[in-house]
Amino acid sequence: MDDYIVEMRHVTKRFPGIVANDDISLGIKKGEIFALLGENGAGKSTLMSILFGMYEPDEGEVYIRGKKVETFSPNHATELNIGMVHQHFKLVSNYTITENIILGMEPRRRIAGIFPAVDVKSADKKVAELSKKFGLEVDPTQKIEDLNVSMQQRVEILKMLYREAEILIFDEPTAVLTPQEIEFLLEIIREMRRKGKTIILITHKLEEIKKVADRCAILCRGRLVGMCDVATTSTKEMAARMVGREVSFELGKEPAKFGAPVLNVDHLSVKNDDGFTVVSDVSFSVRAGEIFAIAGVAGNGQVEIADAVAGLAPVSSGTVTLAGKDITRSSVRARAEQGLAYIPEDRQARGLILDFTLSENLMLKRYYQEPYCVKNVLHRDEFDKKSRELIERFDIRSGQGEQTVVRSMSGGNQQKAIVAREIELDAPCIIFVQPTRGLDIGAIEHIHEQILAERSRGKAILLISLELDEIMNLADTIGVIYNGQLLKTAPADTLTTNEVGQFMMGVKE
Amino acid sequence: MTDIIVNGMAFSLPLFIIAVGGIYSERSGVTNLALEGFLGAGAFFGAVFVTLTSGLFAATSQLPMYLALIVAMLGGALYAVIHAVLCIKFKANQVISGVVVNILAMALTDFLTSQINSVALGQSSDKFVLTVSGRLTFEPLASIPVLGGFFTNVYPFEFVIIAVAVVAWYAMYKTRFGMRLRACGDNPYAVDAAGCNVARLQFTAVLISGALSGLGGMCFAYSVFGNYSTSIYTGYGYLAIAAMIFGNWKIPQTLGACLLFGFARSAGYVLVQKLGMPSTYSDLIMILPYALTLLLLVFFSKNNRAPRALGEIYDKGKR
Amino acid sequence: MKRNKTSPLSRAFLAVMGNEKRQAVTIPLFAVFLSLIAGAVLMLLLGKNPIDGYISLLQGCGMLPKEKYAGGKGMFTDLMGYLDIWTPMLFASLAVAVAYKAGLFNIGVSGQMLLGGFLASITVGYSPLPAVVAKPLTIVVCMIVGALAGALIGVLKYKFNINEVVSAIMLNYIFQYVISFFILTYFVNPVTRQSETVSAAARLTLQDVQLFGMKTVVPLGFVLALIAVFVMHFFINRTRQGFELKAVGASRSAAEYAGVSTKRTILMAMSLSGALAGLAGATYYLGYLGSIQPKVLTTTGFDAIAVCLLGNANPLGILASSFLITIITKGGTYMNSSIGVPQEVSSLITGLMLLFAACGVYIRARLKRVKDRLEQEEKEAKKEGGKA
Repeated sequence: MDDYIVEMRHVTKRFPGIVANDDISLGIKKGEIFALLGENGAGKSTLMSILFGMYEPDEGEVYIRGKKVETFSPNHATELNIGMVHQHFKLVSNYTITENIILGMEPRRRIAGIFPAVDVKSADKKVAELSKKFGLEVDPTQKIEDLNVSMQQRVEILKMLYREAEILIFDEPTAVLTPQEIEFLLEIIREMRRKGKTIILITHKLEEIKKVADRCAILCRGRLVGMCDVATTSTKEMAARMVGREVSFELGKEPAKFGAPVLNVDHLSVKNDDGFTVVSDVSFSVRAGEIFAIAGVAGNGQVEIADAVAGLAPVSSGTVTLAGKDITRSSVRARAEQGLAYIPEDRQARGLILDFTLSENLMLKRYYQEPYCVKNVLHRDEFDKKSRELIERFDIRSGQGEQTVVRSMSGGNQQKAIVAREIELDAPCIIFVQPTRGLDIGAIEHIHEQILAERSRGKAILLISLELDEIMNLADTIGVIYNGQLLKTAPADTLTTNEVGQFMMGVKE
Repeated sequence: MTDIIVNGMAFSLPLFIIAVGGIYSERSGVTNLALEGFLGAGAFFGAVFVTLTSGLFAATSQLPMYLALIVAMLGGALYAVIHAVLCIKFKANQVISGVVVNILAMALTDFLTSQINSVALGQSSDKFVLTVSGRLTFEPLASIPVLGGFFTNVYPFEFVIIAVAVVAWYAMYKTRFGMRLRACGDNPYAVDAAGCNVARLQFTAVLISGALSGLGGMCFAYSVFGNYSTSIYTGYGYLAIAAMIFGNWKIPQTLGACLLFGFARSAGYVLVQKLGMPSTYSDLIMILPYALTLLLLVFFSKNNRAPRALGEIYDKGKR
Repeated sequence: MKRNKTSPLSRAFLAVMGNEKRQAVTIPLFAVFLSLIAGAVLMLLLGKNPIDGYISLLQGCGMLPKEKYAGGKGMFTDLMGYLDIWTPMLFASLAVAVAYKAGLFNIGVSGQMLLGGFLASITVGYSPLPAVVAKPLTIVVCMIVGALAGALIGVLKYKFNINEVVSAIMLNYIFQYVISFFILTYFVNPVTRQSETVSAAARLTLQDVQLFGMKTVVPLGFVLALIAVFVMHFFINRTRQGFELKAVGASRSAAEYAGVSTKRTILMAMSLSGALAGLAGATYYLGYLGSIQPKVLTTTGFDAIAVCLLGNANPLGILASSFLITIITKGGTYMNSSIGVPQEVSSLITGLMLLFAACGVYIRARLKRVKDRLEQEEKEAKKEGGKA
């Protein structure tokens, strides 16, 4: 098996309470595009972090070019010509592209033949050459803070190339890109293969694998469950293996009973802090008993719509009406009292105060109301009583009951706490943004059941998700967003997954 | 006019080198309110050195002063270890650490000053007497109208400061070390990913901060005060912080800020004198740097950008 | 992986301080303990008996009887003198704590104290108003002025996005020099070179009072400070506004999401902090001192940051930590005069105490690590036991 450039033998990695990688053996050939497919939490990133030296495996061995790896550190991995583009870019915002690329291995020159100094000029040249060679189209003297996400990603790629990486690992590289940018990236990846590089692509998106990869390893719950040639395997087959169970599962969705419109969004536009329009002229309405889902690739304005409706982002034009009342200029609290519940995307920074107790977090929207607060004095016993009730009802698990500090709880239980709090508000309109992100299957099912239960109770539900499956399973009506605009709005049963996917890529009718 | 320049330079330059110390620390991402403590501690070490070795040198020798400057730098760096350990190793809140380090510096040097005085010198005193440093006048340059002021009655340490500042500028903007250090203040995770040791870089930066502050403190001891006592803690460290912010955490701009502060101060004193106002009016002059900095922040806070990762506690495990 | 067995020392350490809920108390106590030991070592090095030293600290504060007293004075006199200087420290530390709970650093307490004290001195202190009017008025003026000065920092923070630490430092110096100018120009006492002493009617500490046959001061402000401690405790833990304040301090974005107005909360926190600082100024300049020394910013406001840290920003904790630190600073004078331990030793003990308190995060993390390791070891031991 000497032709493998990377070989992993019986690699096992455990974290407290979880086996992230369980006895995984695989080989990657030089010059191929090798995909690593799996759901959230399947262990893809951990496995590649081991290859890149960020973790040491508990058991098993890693061989690079037939030689056993003894020391695990990113520096050593770089010496072995391995490079990795992380999901979160690691760039210095006030440095130029070149400065970022050479950081850590700066070329030197001597001023007046004596004083050593960083030779930025010659590095600029070298970076420009590299960029040209791989079709990356960057200007080496631009500053990172002036670049968009896709350009920043190219800088990360150049960083690897500059370090003469032969094995390049991409961790979910398309999650933050628009469809055109994805196309461009895939072309770059193909170009690198043509130049003899070995590429490892971590992803959970089947289309991409189908488009560029040669071979594909499928991980499910820490185990390697399949290895296939992409050309000869259908996406369906890959999907089934990835999920590790029947792909479609019955949710017990009741037939729809729509009532009057509850939430009306009319010609809404939103600008971000930098003054860019991120939501433009979006209109839709959500009826009682309806799940209106917004589908789209990340960063197309979905979160901003939710924030604008909830009052956390300023509306630049248009109106938002809730139960017949214009709330466009209302405060966050006024909207909540008017009947709006909101499960935000970022549960740790927005949805919870991590250093507060579970009880305090469960009361975050109610703390100022009677009986929890009478004449500005809080009644903690009422907090706790209500909290215990919610903990019971929503099966929130924690170490010390309602007195647990939320920071110490698991992600799934944190999310359950938010959902419990918001559903308890009994608001006629509920916004769910990415309600199941990063959760395990059990927790996902639990949350889906809650969403459907609220629908049955006649709530108007706005669901924003990046997971197309989730949308197809739950939605009554689907709106597809692209570049801040709703390209298509239609009843869910008139759309196929493929059609929605096309609109998400910006294809117009 | 000459007076304004002479006194302005003598005040601006020590302030500047302390501010450069602040820049080193803060550009590496470590908030530094401890400059006040650093400059006092550094000057203390320098003064102790001068006092204990006074018998070894001829009374007219300038050598002890230069040695004292070096000792003050080493002493400042040594004392800065406390801030570095608290902020980087112990991950304490950097503002709190700065305040604590200042309080401790005053208590510690005060105690040691009187102890050393009584034990080593057998006298009861809370200060070390230094001579005010000699001054140099360069003829014929000094006779040039107006600009001659820059060559009249110059403290020798001013040249030391200029030399050190040039080295500090070069190290920060031209070398690998400086490039990595500045990157730490923006995104330490990027520096870590590039294979550099963030903690070590920040630690070094804080020590340099201590050394430069110590140098500045010693120069103040030799000029403004003429001795070492706890009166050295009059807030020049905080003034240096103001200059650093005014200078947008950049060395050349900070020099400008310090010169502005220094000249405004000396010009103010001259003005008060010339107009025959009571000396109390000079207190109004003293607020100039602070008021200017505050105004600048109010009107230009958009352009004024602190290092992005300033004050953030860098945790390698977090990604 | 190689792993050393957990040492008995760290086990013992963990047994005493492992309880995470109680660490809010145990870690500061540990800091106090360490610094008192360091102080004892220092005294030994100076050839003094540390026990005598610490006793003399308490004696100096009227908590233990001295051997002899000057005519008409007694333990009670010392105790009242102690309360007189404790009062402003208590207020100042509460001021820091309120801001800290909202996630803000009020490093400008000293400046706010000075401004409040100065304006109250010139408006009330130098007026002929009778005591019934003057004393409450002094307090009100100081509180309002302090609140406005604090609010200014709050406005600069949310309106212009200026870091509160930076603006507070600038304002400290501006207040210091401007007030120094006015004092030296208009209100200076040519003999003392300080501002003229305020009228007895306005003064919050009664001077030369005969009580229990002893001549003593009576710091009226102390009662107010004690009340403030409990009011603040109630405010932070039991009121709606206190809850919002803590929410903003713990996570600004989550507080916003919960419908709390962060701007209003920041403004409220800084005003409240400033008002408490104003009270500290009232009890310091119009109580303890009676006049203002120009060109000097009291260290009380800075020490208060550390006192607040030592007391975990909890009003009851602050009551304890300021009590302790004031004993050391105030008692230092007597320790010097009675047994000849230099006064600097007491400031050094305080400094070290603050230093150790600042290490709290590290100690906590360290304890957690030892705990995790012990649990791991126990697990392994069990496993092996099971196998055997």
